[in-house]
Amino acid sequence: MYDKEFLETVRTNAKKWRQAHEQELQEAESDGRVTEDGILLKPLYTPLDVEVDFSEDIGFPGDFPYTRGLEAMGYRKNLWTLSQYAGFGNARETNQLFKNMITHGNVPYLALDLPTQNGCDPDDPLALGEVGRTGISIKSLRDWEIIFDGINLGDIYVGTVANAQAAVILAMHVVLAAKQGADLTKLRGSLQNDILKEFTARGNYIFPVDPSLRLVTDVIEYCAKNLPAYWPICVCGGHFSEAGSDRIHEVAFSLGNAFAYIDEVLKRELPIDQFAKGFFFLMKTNHYDFFEEIAKFRAMRKLWAKTLKGRYGAHDQESMKLKILGHGGGSLMTRERPELNIARNTIACLSGVLGGIQLIGLKTLDEVFGIPSEQAQMIAIGTQHVVAYETGIPDVADPLGGSYYVETLTKEFENRVLEELDRIAKMGGIVRATESGYIRRTIAEDAYKSHKDLESGKKIKVGVNKFRVQEEEVSLKPYHLDPEEEARQIAELKELKKNRDNSLVAKALHALGDVATQPSSSENNLVPPIIEAVKVYATMGEICGTLRKVFGEYKEPAVL
Amino acid sequence: MEKEPKRIRILLGKPGLCGHDRGVLVLAMALRDAGMEVIYSGRHNSPEQLVAGAIQEDVDILGVSILSGAHMSLCQRIANLLREKKAEDVVFVAGGFIPDEDVAGLKTMGVREVFGVGSSLEDIIEYFREVSRDKRGQR
Repeated sequence: MYDKEFLETVRTNAKKWRQAHEQELQEAESDGRVTEDGILLKPLYTPLDVEVDFSEDIGFPGDFPYTRGLEAMGYRKNLWTLSQYAGFGNARETNQLFKNMITHGNVPYLALDLPTQNGCDPDDPLALGEVGRTGISIKSLRDWEIIFDGINLGDIYVGTVANAQAAVILAMHVVLAAKQGADLTKLRGSLQNDILKEFTARGNYIFPVDPSLRLVTDVIEYCAKNLPAYWPICVCGGHFSEAGSDRIHEVAFSLGNAFAYIDEVLKRELPIDQFAKGFFFLMKTNHYDFFEEIAKFRAMRKLWAKTLKGRYGAHDQESMKLKILGHGGGSLMTRERPELNIARNTIACLSGVLGGIQLIGLKTLDEVFGIPSEQAQMIAIGTQHVVAYETGIPDVADPLGGSYYVETLTKEFENRVLEELDRIAKMGGIVRATESGYIRRTIAEDAYKSHKDLESGKKIKVGVNKFRVQEEEVSLKPYHLDPEEEARQIAELKELKKNRDNSLVAKALHALGDVATQPSSSENNLVPPIIEAVKVYATMGEICGTLRKVFGEYKEPAVL
Repeated sequence: MEKEPKRIRILLGKPGLCGHDRGVLVLAMALRDAGMEVIYSGRHNSPEQLVAGAIQEDVDILGVSILSGAHMSLCQRIANLLREKKAEDVVFVAGGFIPDEDVAGLKTMGVREVFGVGSSLEDIIEYFREVSRDKRGQR
C-alpha cells in the first residue's frame, strides 16, 4: 500500500523505537495476547504490518468492494436504522408497544412465540407452556390485523423472525398490506427465512432439509418477482455466535449458507441480479474484541462483493452491497450488576456504527431476567440515540479506514474466513456439513472453550468473575406474561374456527397440499397457495400441518 | 479386587420447542470430561419421550434445559410422568433461563435442583456426584 522509500524510512524509525523500548516490548509480546478467535495481537501496528492493496482491499465508501461501507457519505446522509427486537405475548399489547417504539424512530422487528415459529397452534400438545412466552402468538391473519391496527404497512419497514414458516408470515404481510391499499411493489420489510441456521444453531425447524430449502427458494423467488423492495432473506450469523461459535465461524457459516441459498435460486433460472439484493445479514454486535468486530463487518462486505461479482457474475452494484443488521447478544448480558449491560450495549452499538452497518438492534439491560419491558426497550433505543446524535461519530464515513491495526485485522479476518469456507467446500458444501453434524459440533466446541475461559478467568466478565459486588435486590421488572394468556389464545383460536368459512379453508388447504406434492419448481411455488389459505383465515398450525403431511419432519443428527 | 464403580449415567434433554442448546451442550461436554456417561436427546422432545428415555437408558439423573419460559408447565408434566411410571429414583434436575421466583415451585413439583443462568460447571458436576453417591447408597 505504501511506496518502498516511505517503508524504508518507517523501518529505520521503527527499529529505533523498538530499541528504545526493548524490554517493555518483550514483556508485552511474551504475554501472547490473542482475540477470542485466536488472532495474535501485536502491541503496536505500523505501516510495516499493512499488507493490503489499497484498491483491491480498501477503496472508497460506496464503491466496490465496499470494505469502507455501502454509502459514499457514510451515515452523514442517512443514519443507520434502529430495529429493536420486540413483541409481547399477544397482538393487542404488541400493537401498543410497536406504536410507542415507532414514535421513537424504531422500526418493528417482530418477536414470535415458539409455537408460531414451529408452525403449531396454541392448542397443539407441543405448545404446552410456550404460548406467548418468547413473543407474539400468531394463529392466523386475524392476529396480524390486530398487531398492525392503525399502522400503515405501506409506510414502514417491518422485520420478522419467521424461518421455517416464513412463507406463511410473508403471506399474512402481503394480504394485510393489500387490504390496507399499500403499493406492493414498494412494500418494505423482511423475513429471516434462513432455515439452515435453524438446523445448526437456533432449533426452530419443521421440515427436512430438502423441502425446507424449497420453501426458502419459493419465498425468494416470489419476492423477486412480486415484491422488489422487500427483503425475503436475512442470513444469520448472529445465532451461530449466540450458540457459542467464534467470529470466524459466525461469518464463514453464514456466508456459506447464503451461497447455498443463491445456488438453489439459480436452479430456478432466475438471474442473480434479480434476487441478490433481497439478501441481508443479521450479525452479532459484540463488545468483546471490539476492533476485530469492526474488522468483521468490513471483511464480510468485501467477501460478499467479491464473490457476487466473481463467482456469480453479478453486474448490479446493489447485488454486491452486503446489508447488515447488527444485533446485540443476549449471552453477553449479565444478571450480576445488570446496569453495566447499558455500557456493554453502548460499546456493541459502536462496533456496528464504526463497522458501517445498516440496522442495529441492541439487547436490553433486563434481557437475562425475562422478556424486555417497554422501559428497557426505550433505554436501548435511547442508547442508540446518544451514539447517533451526541458523539459526532456518524459525521465521517468509515472513520477507522486506514488504521494500520484495523486494516491488518480486516485482511487477516478475510483470510481466515476464506480458509474455513474452503474447508467446508472440501466436505461437500455447507448443506452436507450441516447434515453431517460438523457445523453443530464446531459451534459446541467453540462454546465449551469460551465457557472454560470464563470459568478459568482467562476471559473476564465484570461483575461475574471479576469485580463482583454484594448483590442488591434487582429492581428490574421485565414483561410479565399473564398466566391466563395460553388459555385465552386457545379460546381465540376456537372462536376463529367457529366464525370463519371452514369449507373455504378446507378447499385452500387441499389446494396447498396438492402443490406441495409436486416437485420443486417455479410453477409449483408454494407462496401463492399459502396466500390463498391465509386469506380465508387458515391457521398457522393448519397450513404447516398440511405441509408436514407431505414433507414429514426434520430429524436432527446426533451432535455428541 | 474391588470392582470399579459404575459410571454415573445422565440423560440431558430439551423438552418443548426451545432450540437454544448451547448451555446443555457445554454441560454435556464437561460431564463427559468429568468421566460421566452422557446421553443428549437433542431438541424438540416431548416430556413423554424424555421420561421413557430416562427409564430405558436406566440413568441416574435426568437433566432438562429450558430457556423459553415454559419450564413450569414442562417440568410439572415430567415430574408427574416420573411418578406415574414409578421412576422417582431418577434424580430430576432443571437448568436454563429460570427466574429465581420459580425455583421453589419447581422443587415442590419434584425437581431436585435448579441450575439457572451463571451456574458453574464445577458446582453441577459436584452436585451430580453427590446425588449419585447418595442414591446408590440407598440401594
